[in-house]
Amino acid sequence: MIAAVTGRVDSVNATSFEQELSKAMEGGSSRLVVDCGGLSYISSAGLRILLLAVKKTRSQGGGVALCQVQDHVREVLEVSGFTRIMTVRDTVDQAIASF
Amino acid sequence: MDVSLGIDVELNYREPRRVVEVFERFATANGVSDLVVQRFCLALDEVLTNVVSYGFEEGSEDPLIRVDIGLGEDRLEVSVEDNGLSFNPLADAPLPDVTLPADERPIGGLGLHLAKNLIHDISYRRLHDRNCLTLTQPL
Repeated sequence: MIAAVTGRVDSVNATSFEQELSKAMEGGSSRLVVDCGGLSYISSAGLRILLLAVKKTRSQGGGVALCQVQDHVREVLEVSGFTRIMTVRDTVDQAIASF
Repeated sequence: MDVSLGIDVELNYREPRRVVEVFERFATANGVSDLVVQRFCLALDEVLTNVVSYGFEEGSEDPLIRVDIGLGEDRLEVSVEDNGLSFNPLADAPLPDVTLPADERPIGGLGLHLAKNLIHDISYRRLHDRNCLTLTQPL
């Protein structure tokens, strides 16, 4: 399943981000690719949702792969240790191929 | 400081986003690099989100939250002051273990970790029943 996230994810709209990801996972696939090409900003409120998605997909034998991550978003993922628990690739195709 | 800006913040969960946007416009217009602006936006967002979410007891009278931005030739300084519950984010917040595997990771607790790790220097003091946190970056 591929989901694209755009704009800012912070404490104001983290709940709708969570709902969108849940919707993307409803199809039953435990492999989630998140296209972050349009994501300009993520705070810990958004990281919380990504971590929930990682836990959920991993418990079903899958995982989360991100792609097209902008530099400062990547820095946030690295500082949080999230690059250890999810795959980060340059392109959508590479993210899909990582599973 | 050569240029400065003060922002009064209401006790409302939407305020961190508004203040971050004001800061971003101010810092960008005054020539601060994108990297530093982005790091401060996040740190300020996390600190303020913490203050508006947990900094005050329900029904607190006259809550006061204030952000002051100062920009000089060689440094950027942002301070966040509030008259809420005494809380030192540098000492009182538990440190998350960011090396844990996914299934052992607790949900939450990353906000202040990010602020501490993205900003060059953060200092806290409790003065006149107020928390005052100052984020400083040499430029």
